[in-house]
Amino acid sequence: MQKIYKYPFILATAVTLIFQSCGKEYFDELSANPNQVNVPTLPALLATATSKAGLRTYDAGSVVTPYVQYTANPTAGAASDIYETIDYTGTWDGMYFAMADINEMKKLAASTSSEYLGVANLLIAYHLIIVNNFWGAAPYSQAFDPSNFTPKYDTDQEIYAASMKLVDDAITELSKTNATIKLAAASDLIHGGDRAKWLKTAYAIKARLLIKASKTPTFSATAVLATLSNSYTSNADDAGMSTFTLRNSWAQVSRNNAGLTLGGWLSEQFIDHLNGTSYGLFDPRLPKLTEATTVPNNLNYPKWIGTVNGAGNRLNPPNNNTVKDENYISFISPWTNDTAPILLVTFAELKFIEAEAAFATDKPRAYAAYIAAIRANMLKLGLTTAESEPYVTNPIVSVGAANLTLALIFKEKYVVTYLNPEAWNDARRHNYGYKNFGMPLNAVLPTFIRRLDYPIGERSKNGTNVPAEAPRTTKLWWDL
Amino acid sequence: MLPFTDYKNLGARLNTDITISPKLKAGVNMSFTNSGGYRFDADRFGESLTYYSGRWDVRDYVTPEGIQQWRGTNNPIFGAATNRLKDNVNRYIAGTNFSYAPTQWLNFNYRLGVDTYTDNRIRTAPGPRGLPGERTYDNGDGLIGDYNTSYRAINSTFLANASTKLSKDITGTLRLGYELYDRSSKNAGILGSQLSIYNDFRLVNAKVFEVSQGKTEYRSNGFFGEANFDYKDFLFLSLTGRQDITSTLSPENRSFFYPSASLSYVFSDNIKLPEFIGQSKLRLSYAKIGKDASPYSTSTGFSNYTGLPTGSTGLTISSNLGDINLKPEFTDTYEAGLEMAFFNNRLSFDVTYYNSLSKDQITRAQISSATGYVTASINAGSIRNRGIELVLGGTPIKTTNFSWDASLNFSANKNKVISLKEGLSEIVYGAATGGYINSPVTFKLIPGQPYGNIYGSYYLRYYGTDKEDPVYTDKNRPLLIGANGFPISSLTKQKLLGNSQPDWIGGLTNNFSYKRLTLSTIVDARWGFEKFNRLENFNSAFGIADYTSDRRSYKVFDGTLANGTPNTKQVWLGQSLGPDGVNYGEGYYRLYHRSLSEPFVQDASWVRLRSASLQYALPASWLPAKAIRNASISVTGNNLWLHTDYYGLDPESLSADSGSNVDGSAGMTYPAARSFLFTLNVGF
Repeated sequence: MQKIYKYPFILATAVTLIFQSCGKEYFDELSANPNQVNVPTLPALLATATSKAGLRTYDAGSVVTPYVQYTANPTAGAASDIYETIDYTGTWDGMYFAMADINEMKKLAASTSSEYLGVANLLIAYHLIIVNNFWGAAPYSQAFDPSNFTPKYDTDQEIYAASMKLVDDAITELSKTNATIKLAAASDLIHGGDRAKWLKTAYAIKARLLIKASKTPTFSATAVLATLSNSYTSNADDAGMSTFTLRNSWAQVSRNNAGLTLGGWLSEQFIDHLNGTSYGLFDPRLPKLTEATTVPNNLNYPKWIGTVNGAGNRLNPPNNNTVKDENYISFISPWTNDTAPILLVTFAELKFIEAEAAFATDKPRAYAAYIAAIRANMLKLGLTTAESEPYVTNPIVSVGAANLTLALIFKEKYVVTYLNPEAWNDARRHNYGYKNFGMPLNAVLPTFIRRLDYPIGERSKNGTNVPAEAPRTTKLWWDL
Repeated sequence: MLPFTDYKNLGARLNTDITISPKLKAGVNMSFTNSGGYRFDADRFGESLTYYSGRWDVRDYVTPEGIQQWRGTNNPIFGAATNRLKDNVNRYIAGTNFSYAPTQWLNFNYRLGVDTYTDNRIRTAPGPRGLPGERTYDNGDGLIGDYNTSYRAINSTFLANASTKLSKDITGTLRLGYELYDRSSKNAGILGSQLSIYNDFRLVNAKVFEVSQGKTEYRSNGFFGEANFDYKDFLFLSLTGRQDITSTLSPENRSFFYPSASLSYVFSDNIKLPEFIGQSKLRLSYAKIGKDASPYSTSTGFSNYTGLPTGSTGLTISSNLGDINLKPEFTDTYEAGLEMAFFNNRLSFDVTYYNSLSKDQITRAQISSATGYVTASINAGSIRNRGIELVLGGTPIKTTNFSWDASLNFSANKNKVISLKEGLSEIVYGAATGGYINSPVTFKLIPGQPYGNIYGSYYLRYYGTDKEDPVYTDKNRPLLIGANGFPISSLTKQKLLGNSQPDWIGGLTNNFSYKRLTLSTIVDARWGFEKFNRLENFNSAFGIADYTSDRRSYKVFDGTLANGTPNTKQVWLGQSLGPDGVNYGEGYYRLYHRSLSEPFVQDASWVRLRSASLQYALPASWLPAKAIRNASISVTGNNLWLHTDYYGLDPESLSADSGSNVDGSAGMTYPAARSFLFTLNVGF
């Protein structure tokens, strides 16, 4: 290389590099995370909020189904069947991360859109209620504060009151019809942007909250009935989420089971409830919820038979466990197929709340609601009148207003809340009093389970605030 | 080691030195490596292997039609054979350097380096074929994933050196420099699932797509200076200072300075010492080092929500809570050392004592999900390390044909968390890392305690009227036995069960040479630490651990009942109905033993023969005279022998990835390999 080029070349390289670094922009342009968005939009948060509400309903449902004996585990002595302590850190985290996202939507909508604000308040309440139903006391008043890494736990009743306030605020906001920014229909995965439907759903959640306290001294049946009068009037109002990356989460459980990654086995309690064994009348909804057994070479093998909680897979020699000799969650059922919505709350369930609330004072109204609920659920499952009426008009079901009992209301409601987490609240209020409902085999608790243990994740990261361990038979404040 | 996995590596290197002129020299070096192979998740493999019934041969994993040979649980070898990940990395590292010495007392040095690689990963798993009895393990409906990462790091350093005689006895050297580092990493990947044709592994054949994408960029500059003073060639003083500017902290905090000073006194050249003492040096130093945060630790925002199908997008809070006010961390280290040699270097030692205090350590603490975040970047607090390092070396035997030289190194470090960020009483850095029921352990930092503490559930013990220590469990106390005859777990309460940091580490290297033959051995030890053994926890639950063979026998647990009397109740350790007519449910091991941490936090101390190598230098007479200057052949064995009380796999394995600071949990990972190398070295 020529002498004349060497030195300037080296000097120039060094100097350019030094000068390249001098500007503040040289560092500023790299300090923000390019993989993140700093200011979200309301529709983007709404899509996340409604999607998570559906998926968290499935998560909560999965926790509850063995306890209310909709499902049973094919392995004998499985922890979820026999009331062993289970670490639900994933479920807990899922609920709080959902609430955190929805809280961001609430902050963004606070001064800009009453519709978004209403939906945000309602969906935060929705998840908070699930946490409250499972664990009682939980963090809320100090939660979602980036400056507080160890939020304190509000008491069971404080959370109940806080969720009631959130629902009331939602009702106030959703009642306003003059919002300048309306819900984006394509991003609302539950009600497609329909404010009026959200308002009815807010009243539905409120009715659920009120009826949960049915055994407490402050319970007011008239408040429940007044709330219901503003809520759902038909199956068309039902709140469900059906936008999935692949398919309905229950359908996935069912397909995994068909591929022999076992799950979604229906409990003997649920099947016997429907096949006539417990109540003496075959429920035509049974073939719509699941599929009959297929046992080769045995024409007399029962078509409708469930798994006993805690006992595991029936042995039925000479068949091994590859034979479909019990009923499972079905991906053909309109309730749990690939495109079925995950249902948050249904009209039929609300009718049962009405029946329960009116029971003490207005038996005819209660009875009418009871019958209407059963019919609505049958219609939703795709039964024709010819298929449903024989069941509805049968004296075992149509007992007449004077002979209606709370036990009958809970009995029929049990079918309608299939796979929904609300079923555990009803079971606890009814003291698990369904016919032939017994303790699982080899249960580790002396009586029915009433609450969950706090997750290990919380004890690790917020240990000083988590309440002391209590037996899982300890009742929550409303479970009297 | 794992079936259907492999690793291949091919490299080439070129170094050249160029003399452009007497005053200007340059050099270029380049290396290119291609590496990669098939990988499989060792944790999943270990887990499925544990579940697999001992009745069947796990190697019989596939039927003649090519689907899984089903024996009740998934076969891990079928998983490794069908669910595949292949990575291919092309890495190119190049550097060039110039040195220019215009005068005798001044020279300039410039070095520019580039490290760049592309990493391509392909994942494939076949879909179901619809054959009767088909079980697809983790393959789902089939998948094809294609992920690409490209990385580029540039490092440029400019140095100017000037040295001069400042006075009759003192020589001074001044060095000034500027360093620039710029790193960029981009990745994009797509995972297609739901294959239409079960074994057509092309993205066009998939029905559902999941996209991932990311970018990380980082820059830092450093200006540094060093002044060295040499007094009469036996006393040396070195002063340094450095100013760093980084892109990972906010404008107010991104520029920081740190100095150091060290004094070195070669007293053997100054004082008359006895004949047998050779070069001896006393060293003292103080150094402050500043360090920045990992990229984007100051930002918080929203990321793409992945729970939606193609056609919808949503945003969700990103998992890390950044701190805009994050400050750089500083470590102050004081060091004193002495090195001496004796008998013409036949014996030497070098001992150093250090005391190091790190403040404002930047870490990602795991925080309660009730905040809405998974982790938070914080200046965690201050932590102190102090200890000694010793190197002892010598040549015990030296004759004409045979010599033996040995070197021993030893270090012991004591660590203590001095204080934490205000408002925090503890920082969790490893929360509940796997295990059954209440056995998962927690790693946390607590003021007054060292880093590496393992907290877990424990057996309740009988304390009588004595006060029970809230932090430590006293294993000298008798176990508390319940009315049913079994010991009792503390369930969710945790105590300090061990520490993952060793009391000391050491190594011994020996080289024996006899004429043309050389034997080198390296022995390593890491002593005085514990780990939580996840593998044993699993094996206890499945009756694989050898001690569980006692489950077909009775036992009276050695301990005390709640009322203080010794336990005498005989219980059956097996499952279901025992010969005594009592229903034991799932049995002792599944109901009690595997459910708590204490039995599995165990001593993981080890000593191993790290490598032994035998080399033979071929005599010149065997080599073609002009062509080859020298040649030698050698055989080396690595990881030849291990001594440890730890159950199961090598305790050097970790449950967490290699970049993690959670080092106290092990199990279900790639075991360490024993390998043999044959090398031929030829010099031209």
